[in-house]
Amino acid sequence: MIMIVSKLIGDKRRYRQYKARIRRLPEDYRTAVEAIERYLMHFVPADNESAISEFEDLAELFERAASDGTPIRELVGDEPTEFVEEFARNYTKGGYAPDKERQRLLRGIERAIEAERTGR
Amino acid sequence: MGKQTTEMLKGTLEGVVLAILAGRPAYGYEITAWLRDQGFSDIAEGTVYALLVRVEKRGLVDVTKVPSEKGPPRKVYSLNDQGREYLEEFWTAWRFLSERLEQLREGGR
Repeated sequence: MIMIVSKLIGDKRRYRQYKARIRRLPEDYRTAVEAIERYLMHFVPADNESAISEFEDLAELFERAASDGTPIRELVGDEPTEFVEEFARNYTKGGYAPDKERQRLLRGIERAIEAERTGR
Repeated sequence: MGKQTTEMLKGTLEGVVLAILAGRPAYGYEITAWLRDQGFSDIAEGTVYALLVRVEKRGLVDVTKVPSEKGPPRKVYSLNDQGREYLEEFWTAWRFLSERLEQLREGGR
């Protein structure tokens, strides 16, 4: 799993540092981060930098929360999927879809509109 | 906080946070605490954090790291000129929306 992830995010060293930071968190926070991390894997990052900074920002959020003693519920809200999707939006262009698929969709629509305009 | 309020706040939270920062620099925890004090009790701290990451990426805020006695340094956010300009646009959009809604409420002119 780590091998696949490392390949995906391009920067093994920063990814290992992130993992080490997560291991130092109190256990409950770590459990929450791991659940979020698993869900984040379904979003396609915009590029390598986005992929790794996403994890680093996640670690920072939880380190800060652990220091402040913020309860996990206050951190993720009543709808954790909404929080995680909002969080993931900063690092992707097309959410669940790879950027090339988003481009393909836009090209397809453009073609249709062009055909409509010129009357085929 | 009702479901409708939560949904409406989502679309305006960015403007709300920038308006708070126009008053004075603040870090994420303070912003969330202020929102909760004001009755926005459903706001997740993580959502505010995600929003701050976004406005930072877009260059609307400046970030200073301040050492903290416990844990990593705190990131203190302040509104910069580009952010102030963006906030003005937000208020313009808000005025437009609230005027139209008020008209609708008064009988749909």
